[in-house]
Amino acid sequence: MNYFIDSFSAAFDLIISFDPAIYQIAITSVLISITAAVIAASLAIPAGVTMALTPFRGKAFIQHILNTLMAMPTVVIGLLLYGLFSRLGPLGHWGLLYTPTAIIIAEAILIFPIMMNLSITAVQSADPRLIPTLMSLGAKPLPLMLQVIRTTRLAMLAAVITGFGRAIGEVGAAMMLGGNIEGFTRTMTTAIALETSKGDFELGLALGLLLLIIAFALNFILSWLNSRHD
Amino acid sequence: MTKAYQLSNIKVSFQQNVVLDIPELTIPKGKCVALLGENGAGKSTLLNVLACLSKANTGSVTLLNQTAALPLSSSQRQKIGFVQQHPYLLPGSVEDNIKLALKLQGIPATQHSQLIKQALEQTKTTHLALQQTNSLSGGELKRVAIARSIAYQPDILLLDEPFSHLDQHHIQLLEEFIVSFAQQQNKTIIFSSHDRLQGMALADNIINLVAGKITSSPLLNVFHGSLSEHLFDTGKLQIHSTSTQSNAHHIAIDPREIIISAQALQSSMRNSFSGRLILIAEEEESVRLTVDCGESFHVLISPESLKNLDLSLGKSVHLSFKSTAVTVF
Repeated sequence: MNYFIDSFSAAFDLIISFDPAIYQIAITSVLISITAAVIAASLAIPAGVTMALTPFRGKAFIQHILNTLMAMPTVVIGLLLYGLFSRLGPLGHWGLLYTPTAIIIAEAILIFPIMMNLSITAVQSADPRLIPTLMSLGAKPLPLMLQVIRTTRLAMLAAVITGFGRAIGEVGAAMMLGGNIEGFTRTMTTAIALETSKGDFELGLALGLLLLIIAFALNFILSWLNSRHD
Repeated sequence: MTKAYQLSNIKVSFQQNVVLDIPELTIPKGKCVALLGENGAGKSTLLNVLACLSKANTGSVTLLNQTAALPLSSSQRQKIGFVQQHPYLLPGSVEDNIKLALKLQGIPATQHSQLIKQALEQTKTTHLALQQTNSLSGGELKRVAIARSIAYQPDILLLDEPFSHLDQHHIQLLEEFIVSFAQQQNKTIIFSSHDRLQGMALADNIINLVAGKITSSPLLNVFHGSLSEHLFDTGKLQIHSTSTQSNAHHIAIDPREIIISAQALQSSMRNSFSGRLILIAEEEESVRLTVDCGESFHVLISPESLKNLDLSLGKSVHLSFKSTAVTVF
């Protein structure tokens, strides 16, 4: 029990003393996840809204695929991209393996179906009169889509935050594609795995606490925006 | 004659049920038209087709002498203003909503303030301009939605059940608006209602809808049932008609074609029923009587006839009408 309490105390000390090693890892992690979330959101939200607004054959099938992809294990994405980016792979000459870019691509792919699905749900759960109203007022496809995104912006923001949360907590693909290189591709999750295996429980715990603080901050911002909207 | 709308062979089906079946309909330009019918008669479906928001399964719509192909062109869309039965206003102020409509219609920003002012004045909602839409009452919301739809000055205004769930004050304001809009040159207004008297009072033309079909009869004495060998069975009564349409499930009998008498008449009229007088009501220049013969029949007579027949509530009476007075559809 003492070991556990001592570890917590040491972890807090590391956070409060602004330990540069910890913050370096945290910043790398946040930057990679934000970039992945921005890239995924800029593709998934328009795709989700367009899909929700357009009736077409095979829509239910695509939604089944999206649902399946939402549950796809991260190591599978890591494995597939590893095959593509490794020296012998078809994209090996791009030299992306063990770079932050490879992690960003993997995380963007990982969170794309989540964001797209949540965007579809956001549009489908909007007031059913919204789209006929905008159409009757003369909205063409692009202004219609932008206005729908604007009206459902909180749900869209929730989609982005959920995606970001999934990206920052991801470990499998980050480990396989990033290689856990200190000061370069070491993220909070890969560092936690490494430090714990090395026996440096305090550092792992400090990073874990930072992850929780980030998750809490995101949820707090979302609740605050929701309450402002209400 | 310039036509606001020309509909040909329009059929709309939901899950294999035909909910709208209009072989031919012409709505002239510059008229006030009331679309009358019970709930579920197809009024909203027809208005959606007229607003070019939903496509009919078959048939064609001509809008102001031009074919209306979906999606509508910008210039055609700008000619139609449509207000749903339960209008939706976007979050923000009343002015924001009207401005959005003008923006979506591609109207230059320099004209916005003038058009917003005009629309608010026409609907008597100027005092609501800066109010947030979530704080409007039901009546205010409907008038603001109308302001938003007329801000870009459409030639045709479609209103779906504009009077539903409104208090007397807001009904009066809306009636005044409909009359003033209809008086503008070349403006066509089409509104749906289930209140026959209100429709007749406001509109130049009436379209009666029953089970998705247009009927020329006033919406009185409409019965549902089945027709076999000239005999229409409502389940309670059998009514003679001249029609042999086997797929017809409705009949309507013009209330002016029914003869009411104290004694059964000896005549060539095939339909004769006895019943009890259950309602006497004034209706414009006539008197409307409701007689319970198993089914309720409405009969229109003059005030003089009422006096001569010495009718009173509860009295036994006889109704007679010809088979040719029965419209089958």
